[in-house]
Amino acid sequence: MMSTKAFTLVPAVEREQLMGDGERVSLECVECCGRNLYLGTSDCFVYHFLLEEKTVPGGSATFTATKQLHRHLGFKKPVNELRAASALYRLLALCDGSITLVHMLSLEPVPSGARIKGATAFALNENPVSGDPFCVEVCIISVKRRTIQVFLVYEDRVQIVRELSTPEQPLAVAVDGHFLCLALTTQYIILNYSTGVAQDLFPFCSEEKRPIVKRIGRQEFLLAGPGGLGMFATVAGVSQRAPVHWSENVVGAAVCFPYVIALDSEFITVHSMLDQQQKQTLPFKEGHILQDFEGRVIVATSKGVYVLVPLPLEKQIQDLLASRRVEEALVLAKGARRNIPKEKFQVMYRRILQQAGFIQFAQLQFLEAKELFRSGQLDVRELISLYPFLLPTSSSFTRSHPPLHEFADLNQLTQGDQEKVARCKHFLMSYLNEVRSTEVANGYKEDVDTALLKLYTEADHDSLLDLLVTENFCLLADSAAWLEKHKKYFALGLLYHYNHQDAAAVQLWVRIVNGDIHDCTRSDLYEYVVDFLTDSLDPDLVWQYADWVLQKNPEVGVQVFTKRPVDEQESRFNPDDIISCLKKYPQALVKYLEHLVMDRRLQKEEYHTHLAVLYLDEVLQQRPSASGKDADVTETQAKLRRLLQKSDLYRVHFLLVAALDWHRLARALPFLTSRSHLTDRTRGAGLPVESAILHGKLEQHEEALRILVHELADFPAAEDYCLWCSEGRAPPYRQRLFHLLLAVYLGPGPSAPELPVAAADLLNRRAAEFDAARVLQLLPGSWSVQLLCPFLTGAVRDSVHARRTTQVAVGLARSENLIYKYDKGGKEICPSPEPWSRPCLGGWSCYYGSVPAFSIYWKMLRARHRAPFCRKTGDTGSSPVCHNY
Amino acid sequence: MRKPDGKIVLLGDMNVGKTSLLQRYMERRFPDTVSTVGGAFYLKQWRSYNISIWDTAGREQFHGLGSMYCRGAAAVILTYDVNQAQSLLELEDRFLGLTDTASADCLFAVVGNKVDLSEEGPGEGGQEGGHGPGPAGGGGCAAPRLPKQVQPEDAVAFYKKILKYKMLDEKDVPAAEQMCFETSAKTGHNVDLLFETLFDTVVPVILRQRAQGPPQTVDIASSRPPARTRPACCA
Repeated sequence: MMSTKAFTLVPAVEREQLMGDGERVSLECVECCGRNLYLGTSDCFVYHFLLEEKTVPGGSATFTATKQLHRHLGFKKPVNELRAASALYRLLALCDGSITLVHMLSLEPVPSGARIKGATAFALNENPVSGDPFCVEVCIISVKRRTIQVFLVYEDRVQIVRELSTPEQPLAVAVDGHFLCLALTTQYIILNYSTGVAQDLFPFCSEEKRPIVKRIGRQEFLLAGPGGLGMFATVAGVSQRAPVHWSENVVGAAVCFPYVIALDSEFITVHSMLDQQQKQTLPFKEGHILQDFEGRVIVATSKGVYVLVPLPLEKQIQDLLASRRVEEALVLAKGARRNIPKEKFQVMYRRILQQAGFIQFAQLQFLEAKELFRSGQLDVRELISLYPFLLPTSSSFTRSHPPLHEFADLNQLTQGDQEKVARCKHFLMSYLNEVRSTEVANGYKEDVDTALLKLYTEADHDSLLDLLVTENFCLLADSAAWLEKHKKYFALGLLYHYNHQDAAAVQLWVRIVNGDIHDCTRSDLYEYVVDFLTDSLDPDLVWQYADWVLQKNPEVGVQVFTKRPVDEQESRFNPDDIISCLKKYPQALVKYLEHLVMDRRLQKEEYHTHLAVLYLDEVLQQRPSASGKDADVTETQAKLRRLLQKSDLYRVHFLLVAALDWHRLARALPFLTSRSHLTDRTRGAGLPVESAILHGKLEQHEEALRILVHELADFPAAEDYCLWCSEGRAPPYRQRLFHLLLAVYLGPGPSAPELPVAAADLLNRRAAEFDAARVLQLLPGSWSVQLLCPFLTGAVRDSVHARRTTQVAVGLARSENLIYKYDKGGKEICPSPEPWSRPCLGGWSCYYGSVPAFSIYWKMLRARHRAPFCRKTGDTGSSPVCHNY
Repeated sequence: MRKPDGKIVLLGDMNVGKTSLLQRYMERRFPDTVSTVGGAFYLKQWRSYNISIWDTAGREQFHGLGSMYCRGAAAVILTYDVNQAQSLLELEDRFLGLTDTASADCLFAVVGNKVDLSEEGPGEGGQEGGHGPGPAGGGGCAAPRLPKQVQPEDAVAFYKKILKYKMLDEKDVPAAEQMCFETSAKTGHNVDLLFETLFDTVVPVILRQRAQGPPQTVDIASSRPPARTRPACCA
């Protein structure tokens, strides 16, 4: 068993100071009260010494005992026991079966001569129940068989308060409150002297071995048990601590928390009450007295007195830590809590936890270490500082003094074992990651985050990027150098960005994309840069790298302009600047103009025209390569058509700004100088659809339709043309277009057999779009009615409907007029039934499904007359309804 | 030091494996143990309760301490060695009496340890063999393992004897099947089951004790030790 040094044995009274050369005389008992040391001898003397403790600078204590007095008690027997009652200034001395009260200083017996007679042993109650400060409670084992007596001892008198008989002869006693702990002949018991109730503890043969009964604290006793055990028992008769294992022949025991000290003929042994382990053994021959007095442990042979001086707990703990006995050190430290002021304890305990943590750490017991660091609130820089180069050069940290551990750095700790180093680094990584957002890191977040960055970098850890894109306190200079050293250029860029140095960041990334420096962190770094510039609020930066991103990929690169928030675009980016910048990148320019025209719906003819021209140019470029005239409509062509149809702005531009901006455009596209040129171009280039649309925009519908019908023979497209061209216009406009179309179908020109069919089809399907009368004049006489049946039916129905609607309107207007006249003239009138009785009134309601409209009106009129409405027709007033139309 | 809420005591003859059982459970290991001197104890946190578990010394020399250790115990684990029929008999003869000081509603568990040393399978060796001391009857087996000398039925029978001794109604206490275990501290067989079953059953007992009365420290003055009063009140 490893030992601890908990006590040192220091001589206090040398034998020469006692009884001179009396060989036969021996020391029988000891009492110590404050600085007063009393010794009782076998020849009935009591000695009084003053005990002075001196601590020499080296830390070890020495004692000097100065003899004050010695006095013979007047018997011929040895002094068996001495006890001081300091409150009364009395010393109680047991000698020859009686307890004498003597003055503490003069050692004179009290004048009253008060004494307790017939005692074989006694004990003071250190936890008295009387509450009277001017007396002490004394319990004696009486010379009467199996009898215990309790006395109150005053300054100069004694008073018996209780006498109890015990089941067996008592041999030793200790008191706490009402409870006596007694060693009887065959067992220990707890006896409540106020109730007389006894509780067995355990058997012990007091005749074979000297029993020990020692009060060690409130309601707890220490007893010598079988097999050399030191047993603990409470007044409740239970044991709350495991026993300690002494030798078989222990003669005395004492407690000096957290230790139990025992004395046998050869040794003083020290056990911890916290873990029951034997901690120290001090050779000590012929000792026969061991007692503790208010924390001071005194041991004596028959000739000399010694003090067992406890080493400061802190020293003991440090010794334990030094021999890596972490568990024991912590147990001892925790056990010391109640003996040390709270604040001091906390400081001490924290430090011990930290030290213990480093011991575990050095053994790579990371879980335990972490827990100890956490509970010890370790300044995490202590740990970081073990790792070379991790703390920023600017860090003000210096290790605590005295040091928490003995290691210079990690290399020394691991003795260069790289695998161990790696494990330690991994641990620090996870530990820093855990603590960086807790209060543990408060005050030195820079140090923590910078160290973490360095660890991540070194380990090529994914979390490096997470660290840099979230809130962090990495110090720029230190981190940048480290990242550069490890070629983590992308991460370095992130670091610059986090430190508001976007230009440096982008510059670095651009160099990576260009291949000037190598870092494969991101394969999509180009797109990343584009996104970065898109989100950048710095126009200068965007302009600086616009050319670069566009060169790399015009279509993606243009996103730096198109994808940024609109309000920002408006305030900081002038479209014209962008357009001029994009000139070199037609694809990008198209994308940007599309963005302006379609996404942002800018109503600026310049953009529309420019876009149209670009589309057209692209279509024209594609055209030759396309095989044949009927090649599929390309995407661009579709876009072009859509733009030409939807937009009205490019036309205005041509008409009004031809001289200004058009000039610039014209320079880029010299063949485009006028609108007609454009149409010519389109037609000439075989873009009839586009030509038709442009003709339409120029209101040259006939030409447009002619192209569609004659050149393309695309009748649905022609019909469609009529529809979109007339969108948002008045009905006559649309009618005009349809008539034009019909005219194209029927008119002169290259005759084709399908044209009359298309014309008939058009009429039949879109009867409503035509003025039937005009159509009839146009139609060739040869056409059968059958052919145009749907058209004619529709036309007739329309005509009838129009007439009736008109008649109803006329009738209503008349009645309105009549009512007006009646109101004015006040004479009885009867409206003529003519307007509504002759034509079938049902036509109104039937046609429109709106019976209420008419009947309400009818009722309104009747109500005005307050009489049956029309006697001439015999109508009873309800509206005639006819469904037979 | 935290004050325990309840106490469990391990009793049994020397060498049946009390300390090993406890170390297997508390420290998850099976070290060589030396004969326990006096006793030792562990604090186990079970849910929100601190339960102290006392390991006692089986040696005759320390027998006298048993009563004190058992005082106020909420549960007692009576341990025997399944390969030593005598160890079960000793429980009845010497150890049962020590539990007189335990709390009135103390729970009992009967644990046969060292099953790893005997032939496998319960009931394999001598169904009728009983629990007489001495070597097993049929020695036809060449395996190094010994036939088991104590069968689970014997433990159950002993459990019922305990109830009789304690004058407890079988209906009021956990069933024998629930409280008799065969374990191996060496392999860990049933060890967790034993302790955890016991903790789960003992917590309600602790709660009941807590609800019922003032702390035991003042009991002495007002109440008589339960062991002495019980016979008087039973016919």
